[in-house]
Amino acid sequence: MSPDFIKTICPYCGVGCGLVLKVEDGKVVSTYPDREHPVSRGTLCIKGWSAHEFVHHPQRLKTPLVKKGDTFEEISWNDAIALAVEKLKAAAERFGGNAVGGLSSAKCTNEENYLFQKMIRMAFKTNNVDHCARLCHAPTAVGMGQTTGSGAMTNSISDLAGAECILIIGSNAAESHPIIMGEIYKAVDRGAAVIVVDPRKTAVAENARIHLRINPGTDIPLLCGMMRHIIDEGLHNEKFIQERMDGFEELKKFLRSWPVERAAKECGIDEGEIRRVAEMYAKAKDSAVVYCMGITQHACGTANVHAVCDLAMLCGQIGKTFSGVYPLRGQNNVQGACDMGALPNVYPGYQSVSDSAVQEKFEKAWGRELSRKPGLTVTEMIGSAGKEIRALYIMAENPALSDPDVNHVLESLNKLDFLIVQDIFLTETAKFAHLVLPAVCFAEKTGTYTNTERRFQLLRKAVEPPGEAKGDFEIICLIANALGLDFPYKHPGEVMEEIASLVPDYGGIRFDRLEKAGLQWPCPDTGHEGTRFLHEGQFTRGRGLFIVPAYTPPFEKPDDEYPYYLNTGRMFAHYHTGTMTRRSPFLNREMAGPYAEMHPEDAMRGGIREGDRIRITSRRGSIVTAARITERVARGSIFAPFHFTEARANILTNPVLDPISKIPEFKVCAAKIEKEPNEKQER
Amino acid sequence: MLKKVKDIARTILTEKQGDGVLGLIKGEWDIVQPHIFESPGEVDALVIEPKWLLAKMAMTVLRSSREGYRLAVVVRGCDERALTELVKRNQIEKERLLTIGIACTGEQASACICDRPYPQKLDAGDAVAGVDPFKEDIVKELLAGDGPARMEKWANILKRCIKCYGCRNSCPICVCIPCKLEDAVWVETGIIPAEVLSYHLIRAFHLSDTCVACGACQEACPVNIPLLALQLSMREMLRETYGYEAGLDPERKSPILYDLCKEPAAGQALPDWINSLRKDDES
Repeated sequence: MSPDFIKTICPYCGVGCGLVLKVEDGKVVSTYPDREHPVSRGTLCIKGWSAHEFVHHPQRLKTPLVKKGDTFEEISWNDAIALAVEKLKAAAERFGGNAVGGLSSAKCTNEENYLFQKMIRMAFKTNNVDHCARLCHAPTAVGMGQTTGSGAMTNSISDLAGAECILIIGSNAAESHPIIMGEIYKAVDRGAAVIVVDPRKTAVAENARIHLRINPGTDIPLLCGMMRHIIDEGLHNEKFIQERMDGFEELKKFLRSWPVERAAKECGIDEGEIRRVAEMYAKAKDSAVVYCMGITQHACGTANVHAVCDLAMLCGQIGKTFSGVYPLRGQNNVQGACDMGALPNVYPGYQSVSDSAVQEKFEKAWGRELSRKPGLTVTEMIGSAGKEIRALYIMAENPALSDPDVNHVLESLNKLDFLIVQDIFLTETAKFAHLVLPAVCFAEKTGTYTNTERRFQLLRKAVEPPGEAKGDFEIICLIANALGLDFPYKHPGEVMEEIASLVPDYGGIRFDRLEKAGLQWPCPDTGHEGTRFLHEGQFTRGRGLFIVPAYTPPFEKPDDEYPYYLNTGRMFAHYHTGTMTRRSPFLNREMAGPYAEMHPEDAMRGGIREGDRIRITSRRGSIVTAARITERVARGSIFAPFHFTEARANILTNPVLDPISKIPEFKVCAAKIEKEPNEKQER
Repeated sequence: MLKKVKDIARTILTEKQGDGVLGLIKGEWDIVQPHIFESPGEVDALVIEPKWLLAKMAMTVLRSSREGYRLAVVVRGCDERALTELVKRNQIEKERLLTIGIACTGEQASACICDRPYPQKLDAGDAVAGVDPFKEDIVKELLAGDGPARMEKWANILKRCIKCYGCRNSCPICVCIPCKLEDAVWVETGIIPAEVLSYHLIRAFHLSDTCVACGACQEACPVNIPLLALQLSMREMLRETYGYEAGLDPERKSPILYDLCKEPAAGQALPDWINSLRKDDES
């Protein structure tokens, strides 16, 4: 048999690049970039090029496993489904439907997410369904929803190449969204100015015209200072504000308390710099704001998003090409998982569960009574494990590495009456499960992902799953049917048609329309070509709304006992909890173990050299990792990537939540560093 | 031209001159992707656009196919040159390889700043004149100025590198195992950008006598580094000094490997701009 080439979509980040998988004898043997893909156009990052490497890994789960004592035993699918259903039902019967929770997955397809939330909502009359968007862009969904009416990236990735001024706040796109960085460089090559706001001197900052190295968590002071200066200089877009905005007077009044001098002091930068970037942003013909976890992962994450939107709306830099607000979504399908209603407060298409008309619509469509009470979020479900939540069904998420204060997460998982984990490997979370269900990876399934620019894209099955592993789609249907629901779906395309019938914005999405280049929602009918940018002429919510950003400084500040700021994030060769990347030889070669960055002066003071083992301790726990000494971090700051199970950075992070979106403050906590004896690494 | 390519491909398959034809297929919903045609009936769906280099795929297909499997490849000029180099370097058995040569359009030639937009064995289409890359503004600008100025210019561009290894992966003649770029002695791991001297220049020099100027490295670069310009000047130097162009003569070995003892002296074979790589230029 000669090899086959299958076009599909990359399983890593939200950019959603096009891959061509080479398949030989039923195995994916290599990955090429798709030259025709509308976003990546024949390019890939290191992770994309390596996307095939974990697919046939020997550690892939091949049979359902049940926990017996401390070990797992193989069981048949029939027994696994029966057990899952028995335990879920038992929890619901004894403690009520709200005792069951489900974590859906931003790694899975739209159709799978739709079915998962439908199953949880229908079978248990609860809205306890959420996913890891809670840990990345929940503030975006809420904050942009409030200001513009839509919590999604306003424009298309390709629009960045046409911008004149690009303000990048809290995004290390060069490592986390490399293909988008390429679009930004296209703009630079045409003369655009790039301004980077980041406490770290990232590769993005190194390549920027201006880098504002602000103190951690001072984004609102910076943005307020900029807005104040823009208004003082009369550079705001009066016409746009009059015609399209509400709330300007309140914002203006509030900004009186943020003179540039105060902002500069709070941010720890020069006043002139704030004025300069404010003018650059306001005066450019087309300005864009790109942001990421540096904005959202704070206890004032939603307010940070408000401030970003306020700036764009103040200057009328939204609702047209080459401008707009660009939240860069993390997971390959985190946009889609949100869109599909894998959130505790909304049905698919962000239709509120507390709205009685919406409830009626879904009750009628699904034929079951549904709950109007918003459910619990990821962090709340884990926090109340063993209390309100008795049985938890986790589909392809790994909170044992990804959630803040991991030690507490592990304690909580242990308290559950029953934990089902459905994944492709025995993850750190799966080890805590009573029942493990073997699922399939991107190369083994058909379905759709929605990328960060709202583009529905088609995933094509390239190879068969290992052993008895089943697609998440099939597993959900099996469990749902065994729970007494009617899930007759044979093909994801049928599910997409159901979604289209329930969500007006996705009304025109059909599998056969996605084959060539996908479609960007809103796409209301089958004749519609999709939407390149939102808010043209009118905001999704009607008039745009300025919201006064409520600033709260970071919850923990360095003190005598914990003298450092700890910042967490990603590095270019690994992805999130490393379930896939750390099993990819090429990526693991690039970075085989954990490290933390610290400033040379801090290192010298502690007698720490490059590569030394150091212990980082916060109020919640400690990890041992290797020191990397670099001026990328500021004096008094440490950066630790969160990919590494042997030194889980999230043991250290602060679980304090943003009151509105419930995102934890991953980006800032206080920590101390001690040098560890350089002995052989303990296991 | 397309019809002619299809006819040749059908003939190859019908007359069993080859077991498969590697080319592009336009499938349902107009999706274009590489494909190995193994029956004449399939050939109707063959297309030749867009430019999609197939030489490296051809090599891996031949490596993993059964003994004696003969593969025909639809090639543009650059693909043909790459295959020639791969044969010379014992990566492909000549007897198992056939080509169907197609000419590029003038538009494609300008897009690639290609001076030979046609294969030597041209089977379909008319050869158009090439473009002199050294007369292009972008190349002139990149190679202009004295050593320190060039160093600064290139260091500025290369610090965008996100270390995707796309330049290496997509290069049709980058085939060494193990690869020096994966050796932590030369290239520090776990950090971007990749080192200018140890990553980019190892790569560039390593390819100096094999580069066929296909531009695959540059096209695969997500951050728009003009890698072709880096390569072209070395290719030009070999042409000036030794009258040698990689990928043209299947019999002639690389002068860097075989002509070192001949005149002119080896030192002169290096392009003068490499001086700019020395940070503290003595002159």
